[in-house]
Amino acid sequence: MSVQKKFSTLVSRYAVVFIFLIITVAAIPPSGLSIKYILQEIITRLGRNSFLVIALLLPIYAGMGLNFGMTLGAMAGQIGLIFAVNYGIAGWQGLVFALLFGLPISVFLGWICGLVMNKAKGREMVTGYILAFFINGIYQFFVMYMLGSVIPMGNKSIVLSRGYGIRNTLNLDSVRQALDTIFMLRVAGFSIPVITFLVIAALSIFVLWFKKTKLGQDMRAVGQDRAVAEAAGIPVERTRIVAIIISTVMACAGQIIFLQNMGNLATYNAHDQTGFFAVAAILVGGASVTHANIANVFIGVTLLHAMFIVSPLAGQNLFGSAMIGEYFRQFIGYGVIAISLVLYAWRTRKAAAEARMSLEQAPQSVEEGQA
Amino acid sequence: MKNSNSEGAQTVRIRRRVIRSALIILYGLLMVLMIYTGRRHTILIDNKNSPDGFYRAIDGMTVSIDDGEPIEYYPGDRDKAVVQGQKHTLTIEIFDTGKVITRTFKIPLWTDMVLISVPKMVAGIEPWMEPFTPAEQIQETKEPDEPTEGEILFSNPGMGNTEAEGLP
Repeated sequence: MSVQKKFSTLVSRYAVVFIFLIITVAAIPPSGLSIKYILQEIITRLGRNSFLVIALLLPIYAGMGLNFGMTLGAMAGQIGLIFAVNYGIAGWQGLVFALLFGLPISVFLGWICGLVMNKAKGREMVTGYILAFFINGIYQFFVMYMLGSVIPMGNKSIVLSRGYGIRNTLNLDSVRQALDTIFMLRVAGFSIPVITFLVIAALSIFVLWFKKTKLGQDMRAVGQDRAVAEAAGIPVERTRIVAIIISTVMACAGQIIFLQNMGNLATYNAHDQTGFFAVAAILVGGASVTHANIANVFIGVTLLHAMFIVSPLAGQNLFGSAMIGEYFRQFIGYGVIAISLVLYAWRTRKAAAEARMSLEQAPQSVEEGQA
Repeated sequence: MKNSNSEGAQTVRIRRRVIRSALIILYGLLMVLMIYTGRRHTILIDNKNSPDGFYRAIDGMTVSIDDGEPIEYYPGDRDKAVVQGQKHTLTIEIFDTGKVITRTFKIPLWTDMVLISVPKMVAGIEPWMEPFTPAEQIQETKEPDEPTEGEILFSNPGMGNTEAEGLP
C-alpha cells in the first residue's frame, strides 16, 4: 500500500477524531482558559462520564450498534438514587444502595430492550432511541404519580407539596461526590478522584476479560455475522439480550456515578441526554457503529469534554455571546453523530461495491486464464 | 445409566437453586447493611433552661460528636450535627468545672432527627434524647394557613396555586 493510500485510509477512518482535535485545539486560545484549568476539568469529566461510555461497548461487539437504549439503565439508576435519598442513606453506602435498588430494574428494562431489539434486527439504534422515549413515559408516570401516592415516601422534602410526585430537582447532598472524595489525590495542583478511576479501571479490565470469555466470543461472532453464528450453534437472540442487559446495568451504575459527581438530579430529564452524549463521546474517540475499544472511550471523553469546556467561552470571546458556544456545543454533538453515521454508511457501501467488483472480475480472469 | 443421568441433573438443579437463593439472600442482606451503616440522622444539641425550672442551661461547654471538632455552647444555644449510622459518642467538656462527660447513645434506625438536651443529660434526667419532628414544631409556632417553604418557592404569582410545581 502506498504512503498516500495509507494516509487517505487513516484520514477517512479517523476523520471525526481529526476534525474534533483541530476544532478543540483551535478553540483553546480564544477561550482564554489556562491549560491547567482545562486539564483539571477533563480529569473531573473523565471520572464522571467514562463509565457511561464504556456501557456502549458490549452492544457494539454484539453487532447491535450504538445502544441508545442505555437511557433505560440511566432511569433505573435515578430511581435507585431517589430511594437512597428518600431513606436518608448517605455516603458511599447511599450509592451502593442506589445501585442495588436500580440493578433489578435495569436488568428487567434491559431484558425488555433486548426482546424488542431482537424483533427489529438491523434497526437496533433507532429502535433503542424510540424505546427510550416510550420507557421515559412510564418513568415520568412512576416518578410523577406513583411515588408518594401508591409507594409511600417518608422524606417529605423530596415530594411535591400536593403530596405525591417527586420534586423537579433533587438535592443529592447526602451522596454528593461520595465516591470521588473517598480518596482524592492532590498532585501538582490537580485533584484526582482515585477510587472513581479505580472503578472505571476495574470495569475496563472486566470488558477486556469478558471479550475473551465464551460469552464474549459468542457476542463477537454474532456481531460479525448472525447467520454464521446461528449455524455454529450460538444462541444469537439470547446472546444479544445478554449484551443489552449488561449494557443497561452498566448504564445504571454509570448514571449513579455521574449524578453523585454532579450533586443534584433533574428528576424528569437528567436521563434525556445520557445516551446522546455517551454515543457522541465514543464516536469522537474514533469508534464506529461496528468497531469500538476501550481507547476510543477515553480519547472520546477527553476530546468531547475538552470541546465542551472551551466552546462556551470561545463563543463568548469570539462572538460576544456565550450562547453561541452553547449552540456550537449542541451542533457539534449532533454533528459528530451524523458525520459518523454518514461515514459508516459510505464505507459500508464502498466495501460492498469493491466486493461486488472483485466478484465480477474473478470469473473474467478465470476465463482469460483458460483462453 | 439413564437413572444416574437424571439424578445428576437433579443434583445440579438443586445446587443451582440453593446458590441462587443464597445470592438473593446475600443481596437483601447487603441492602440492609447499607441502610444500617449509611442511614443519616440529624442531632440537635440543646443547651436551654427547662420551661418548668427542673434544670438549668450550662454556662459554657464544648460538645463533640464522635471524632468531630468540639463546638462551644452557651445558655440558650441550639445547634445541629448530621451523623451517619446509629451508634455515636457524645463528649462534653464543661468550662466551669473542667469535667468531661462521655456518653454513647444509639439513634433508632428510622428516626430522622433527635434532640439531645445536654443540661438534662448532665442533671441525670431521663430521657435526655428525644425524637424531634420539625413539622410539629412549625405547627406550634406558625399560623395554620401559612404556606410551607416549598409552596413559597414554587408558587406562581398571579396564577394561584396550580399544584403543578416541579412538573417538567
